Amino acid sequence: MFELLAAGLVGMLQVKYLLPLFIGSLIGVVGGALPGITITMTVIVVLPFTFGLEPLQGLAAMIGVYVGGETGGLITSCLLGIPGKPSAVATTFDGFPMARKGEPGRALWLGIWASVLGGMLGAVVLVAATGPLAEVALKFGPWEYFALFVLALSMVAGLVESSLLKGLVAGALGCVVTILGNDPVMGQPRLTLGISWLEGGIPFLPVLIGVFAFAQIMSDIERMGFAKRTEALDAVNLAVSHLKVLSEILTRPVLLLWSTFIGLVIGVLPAIGGSAANMLAYDQAKKFSSRPEKFGSGIPEGIIASEASNNANVAGSLVTIMAFGIPGDAVTAVMLGALTIHGIQSGPLFIVQNPALAYGMFAAYILAHPLVLIMLALGVRWVLRIVVVPKSILFPVVLVLCVVGAYALGNTMATVYVLLVSGIFGYGMVKLGFPLAPFILGVILGDQIEINLVRSIMTDANPWLFVTRPISGALLAAAVLSIVAALWQHRRMQRKAAAALPAESDF
Amino acid sequence: LKLSKDGWGGLAVLAASLFLFALTLGLKDNPLVPIGPGYYPRIVLGLTAALALALFVSDLFSKKREAPRPERLNYAMVVAMFAVFGLYCGALPFLGFRVATFFYLVAANAMLDPPKSIKSYNRVVAIALITTLLVYYAFERYLSVLLPRGRWTDF
Repeated sequence: MFELLAAGLVGMLQVKYLLPLFIGSLIGVVGGALPGITITMTVIVVLPFTFGLEPLQGLAAMIGVYVGGETGGLITSCLLGIPGKPSAVATTFDGFPMARKGEPGRALWLGIWASVLGGMLGAVVLVAATGPLAEVALKFGPWEYFALFVLALSMVAGLVESSLLKGLVAGALGCVVTILGNDPVMGQPRLTLGISWLEGGIPFLPVLIGVFAFAQIMSDIERMGFAKRTEALDAVNLAVSHLKVLSEILTRPVLLLWSTFIGLVIGVLPAIGGSAANMLAYDQAKKFSSRPEKFGSGIPEGIIASEASNNANVAGSLVTIMAFGIPGDAVTAVMLGALTIHGIQSGPLFIVQNPALAYGMFAAYILAHPLVLIMLALGVRWVLRIVVVPKSILFPVVLVLCVVGAYALGNTMATVYVLLVSGIFGYGMVKLGFPLAPFILGVILGDQIEINLVRSIMTDANPWLFVTRPISGALLAAAVLSIVAALWQHRRMQRKAAAALPAESDF
Repeated sequence: LKLSKDGWGGLAVLAASLFLFALTLGLKDNPLVPIGPGYYPRIVLGLTAALALALFVSDLFSKKREAPRPERLNYAMVVAMFAVFGLYCGALPFLGFRVATFFYLVAANAMLDPPKSIKSYNRVVAIALITTLLVYYAFERYLSVLLPRGRWTDF
């Protein structure tokens, strides 16, 4: 393992890999810092540029975007009070008050160093856990895979905050997309609705690009003209003693480790993402703190918890995709698409069949952190200038790159039409309050669920095997439990909300 | 029948899944596999219909709270942006990437931030031109990604 990792690190230091990693990290930092531009959208923009590259070059660029984006998001959170991305929301709670108290440099660098340390701790788990987890997954038969994918889908649907039913409907709708056009087992056309370009089925990448890009951009366009413009900050003093900042973090080892652990666990769980990780880590830090009342007033604990967790979350997401082939979030879903484009099968065989690529990805993840650190040390002021680029220029350009990305998937206009329809559908889902994460996971896993269901029935028609085989049974039981737990959680929240109403009405 | 957006959403999904479910009944089984191409779609669509029905019913019987005052949103702009993007997608095979993208960028940029002077008109055109050429050359020349050619323009 260590030889492969060392070889991966040495390989990644070659200019042909280091350059895409550097450019990806830079774009990630800028994309992460731009309020309204998520990391998913940034990685979608970068995706078409990777088509002409070697797989590892493309993946290095995407990992750079991911790590850079998670770190870049804290810049505007701390200095402008506007989270650059959802996974930096909790950073704003203490980062911005600290900056307003006259310590913008301390707020910024506490976040950057916590990001780097959380990310590097996450790297240890990424390298150590992915191989053994993939070995466990190698023992899986079609029954276990079916159960695993059902568990992933039920967990994501259950973790939706607004409504469990809507999460489940969204996940089911994602699976519906995969049954249109093509039977993945025999390649027989089905449910084409008379549309010729549906006969090959619907590729998931244009759906993902359309749903996420349009949902985000159109939701921002709705508010254009009503929201305040972001002002550039020029006269802020960002000078700070790095040793002092580092010691502030390292003298809180439990906070750093616990927040990293939370980020990793949330990252491993499919399709939840850093937005949940940073809020949960912040909440935990507050609960375990000896001075919870100070949270929100600009204390270092809040920044450290949020930033360590969202960067560790990246490592967790990479574990899931590399060991099981299940995307940990939307960014890794795009990476999964990039792997497919290059003809690489993700899943438990990925590490065994492509060790150079897998350890190259680990190396890219590890090296992205110091790269981002150097980048921000040299040019954080430039990033602050870039974030004021008008959205009226940015959004059409992003949509053009989405079209290029969709078109280049098969050099056909059919994928562009899928992009357009998915965009309208995704925006409609957002307006009706349906969550996007379960939908996308359904689109990605739907085919695999069907293939494994058919394989298992073709191997043995006894349906009880799904519950009597130990791993499959345990995974299905966990799926049911996750739904029951989500139901219980929703009921509890509803009761709490109902109990709070009369009290509020008194005032 | 007083429904919130949950109820309407549930109703729409229910109708669509029942329609598709009906279509699966016409799918012929394949003699090579024990289960036909309609087996899994029927499970998925049946489950989707059941969940959508549950969403509709739960909304129907839920206590409706007074909705908060709606946020001021520019839906006209969203519709216009979708329309322009749809036109762009439709025009791509006829005008080709370079021409269609240039016009799309000019239109979208001008709609989102209407130019008020000759200078700002020039800026919109310049941004569209530079972006189109940069994207074209980056993909066609350096990344070997062929972009659509126009049937009408041959360009």
